[in-house]
Amino acid sequence: MTDLKSRLLIAALAATTALTAAPALAEGTLTVAQRQDPANWDPVDTFLVAWGSVASNIYDGLVRRDENLDLQPGLAESWEVLDEGMRIRFKLREGVQFHNGEPFNAEAVKYTFDRLLGEVGGAGPQQSNYTTIYRVEVVDATTVDFHMAQPDPVILTKLSGYGAMIVPPQYIEENGQEHFDMNPVGTGPFKFVSYEQGARIELEANAEYFEGAPELHGLVFRFIREDATRLAELQSGGVDLVTDVAFSAVPTIEAADNAGIVAVAGPSIYSLALKTKDAVTEDVRVRRALNMAVDKQALIDAFLAGRGSPIASLQGELSFGHDPELEGYPFDPQQAMALLEEAGVAPGTEMTIDYRAGNSTFNEVAQALTGFFAAVGLNVGLNPVEDGVFLNEIVPQGRTNEMYQFSWGGWTFDFDNTAYLTYHEGEKWNPYGTSDEMNALLDEQRQSPDQELREEILQKVAQLAHEEAYHIPLYNEETVYAVADRVEGFVPAPDKRLRLTDVSVAE
Amino acid sequence: MQPARGIAPRAGTSPPEADLPILSFILKRVIQAGFVLVAVTLFVSFAIRLTGDPAVMMLRESANVTPEDLARIREGLGLNRPFLVQYGDFIGGLLTGELGNSFFRGAIAPLISGALGATLLLALTSLAVSLLISVPLGIYAATHRGSFGDQLVRVLSLAGLSFPNFWLGIMLVLIFSVTLRWLPPSGFTGPQSLIMPAVTIGVILTSTNLRIVRTTMLDVLSSQFIMVARAKGLSQTAVIYKHALRNSSIALVTYLGLQFGSLMGGLVVVELVFNWPGMGTLAIEAIAQRDYPILQTVISILAVLIVAVNLLVDLTYMLLDPRIRLE
Repeated sequence: MTDLKSRLLIAALAATTALTAAPALAEGTLTVAQRQDPANWDPVDTFLVAWGSVASNIYDGLVRRDENLDLQPGLAESWEVLDEGMRIRFKLREGVQFHNGEPFNAEAVKYTFDRLLGEVGGAGPQQSNYTTIYRVEVVDATTVDFHMAQPDPVILTKLSGYGAMIVPPQYIEENGQEHFDMNPVGTGPFKFVSYEQGARIELEANAEYFEGAPELHGLVFRFIREDATRLAELQSGGVDLVTDVAFSAVPTIEAADNAGIVAVAGPSIYSLALKTKDAVTEDVRVRRALNMAVDKQALIDAFLAGRGSPIASLQGELSFGHDPELEGYPFDPQQAMALLEEAGVAPGTEMTIDYRAGNSTFNEVAQALTGFFAAVGLNVGLNPVEDGVFLNEIVPQGRTNEMYQFSWGGWTFDFDNTAYLTYHEGEKWNPYGTSDEMNALLDEQRQSPDQELREEILQKVAQLAHEEAYHIPLYNEETVYAVADRVEGFVPAPDKRLRLTDVSVAE
Repeated sequence: MQPARGIAPRAGTSPPEADLPILSFILKRVIQAGFVLVAVTLFVSFAIRLTGDPAVMMLRESANVTPEDLARIREGLGLNRPFLVQYGDFIGGLLTGELGNSFFRGAIAPLISGALGATLLLALTSLAVSLLISVPLGIYAATHRGSFGDQLVRVLSLAGLSFPNFWLGIMLVLIFSVTLRWLPPSGFTGPQSLIMPAVTIGVILTSTNLRIVRTTMLDVLSSQFIMVARAKGLSQTAVIYKHALRNSSIALVTYLGLQFGSLMGGLVVVELVFNWPGMGTLAIEAIAQRDYPILQTVISILAVLIVAVNLLVDLTYMLLDPRIRLE
């Protein structure tokens, strides 16, 4: 993390020194190019990072996470957890207005959560994140109580999430849901101006923003699906900031004369899950051997342009529950071969890796992995699968081969998010089951409001998963941005939300 | 004198009831097209429902997904209704122009009208570029057979055919946007945005069209009626443009009709490279999200277009060669 911070600082300094001659102008417009158009700006209808990068500038939640992932007051000035986690009282900020002039108050908070937890939210993907909230009660115009159905240790973090962004009641009621989908109104630092589906959304500074007007006058997001095209736009001066930069493009941008790279540790981890039933990988010795066959750092250097770190469990360093003491299996092909022999796996045994074909970096990683496995005498083939088929048909139905890709970006940065999903009975990413002990640990931490205890249990979960070698944890990716030299003050947050209040551009 | 190639079965005597041959022909073809479209839409609607569940796609990044969550979303999207009911709704919408809503992106009609306009603009411009280059060059090559110019044209057309269009597109972007900064690399901001995508598709079309024009021109030029025309003392220009070109265009028109389907396919890739806001880009997004309503509509409209273009090709035969009678 220190290394990362210093790198960020250097990047920021480099950008600043390049531009010391030009004064910072509050009038500029910044253009961002990102791959995907979320196509719907209603907070309850989305799970896309592409939504968060844009809409974090339009909406606010009661709380907000800063670039160190610490919770900060948002539309709530303060909060208090009461009744052993069964009630949370929020004191709201006064004098805030939505972009349409409608006042923000306790009624707006209640409306937002009634909507999220009711029929409208039910047709979208966000509701399932907030079902621990029983109801929201208006105490007075600036006070609300959240009554919980059960204590939820991660709820405050979740209240900074997409689905909990506060929406304007009157505006939605008067104009209808469909209008709101395409014409978002929030309380955030930028106001919506126009939206052209598949092409661009334009925002302008909210001069009345409660934390002060942003440094930019205008903010434009362009949606450009093709990686090479986004970078061509940056190099030809059409855009200032590119998200979703492919690792293979990093050297090109580093060599460009008008742009550079800014990277930050991200939530995304990559691993190979191992089939623990009806396969040669049923034997834990085989799973451990497979772990020892892989040189993770070599993968990072070769395919991630060095922008990643090896992991021992399915989480990065920033994750709550990360245990710095836990060491991954060493890269030791000799030991791997010995273990395979002990388990009676003959040299030349065939196995297959299923993986998502859409990710060009992982395609290369998967090919390299077959090489590592070949070096310990295994004959491993590749089975690239289209995303939808992989997520619908292959994994949840338990139709995988011996090894299959598991990659996840738990935006809460709480190991519960990933661990429950991959190790608990009946979960989508756990088609072959783990153990009763594992299920009990996961349930226990979920019901506990005691964060220290939770951390201890989550570390135990990671330890157990390591011993059983359910996965080959590979690496935690950095998120890479390509940034034009004229951009100043860009410090990305690890959760991929681009809140661009402090960024400015030189004309 | 031989009948025009490729359409011999159509040449013949008029059917007795053919007082309004064109109208009855069109009517027949429209009815046929109806069957084709029912088959296409039924197949597409059915097939995409086999490829994955939009509810799962929607919740793929959510950690705590219960079967109830999935059921609730399916119900919200209307996916729990029987297939034929869903299909009926879709067809009814198509016929009445009420295209309804996408699963994720609001009303479909404005999306389609924008995308269809952009795609047709690109397709027609590419076609125009291609014809403007391929017809004169093809004629030149045919009338100067074996010359250095003819050889050069043939080599160039072979080279054009060999470029994968995505590669050509990226090369154009590197040269004209990144290095020279003359043209915008992507999107649609004005006529200058049209140049690179139209040239990318135009080059591929030109290469094949050129070969067709040259070959059929050579064929026609060696036929008896040309010799007769020349014997009558007509000028070279009149022989070529009045007689030979008209007779050789039947093959070109047939080919263009057949090519239209693959042109639409090729557009998908080129639209992606240039971030062109067309039907291809729309379809790719829809496939990734399993957005059935958009995908069904896009494919149906493309099917209608292809059927319509082929009908138009048949009608064009009559203009080009009055001896052709439609059946």
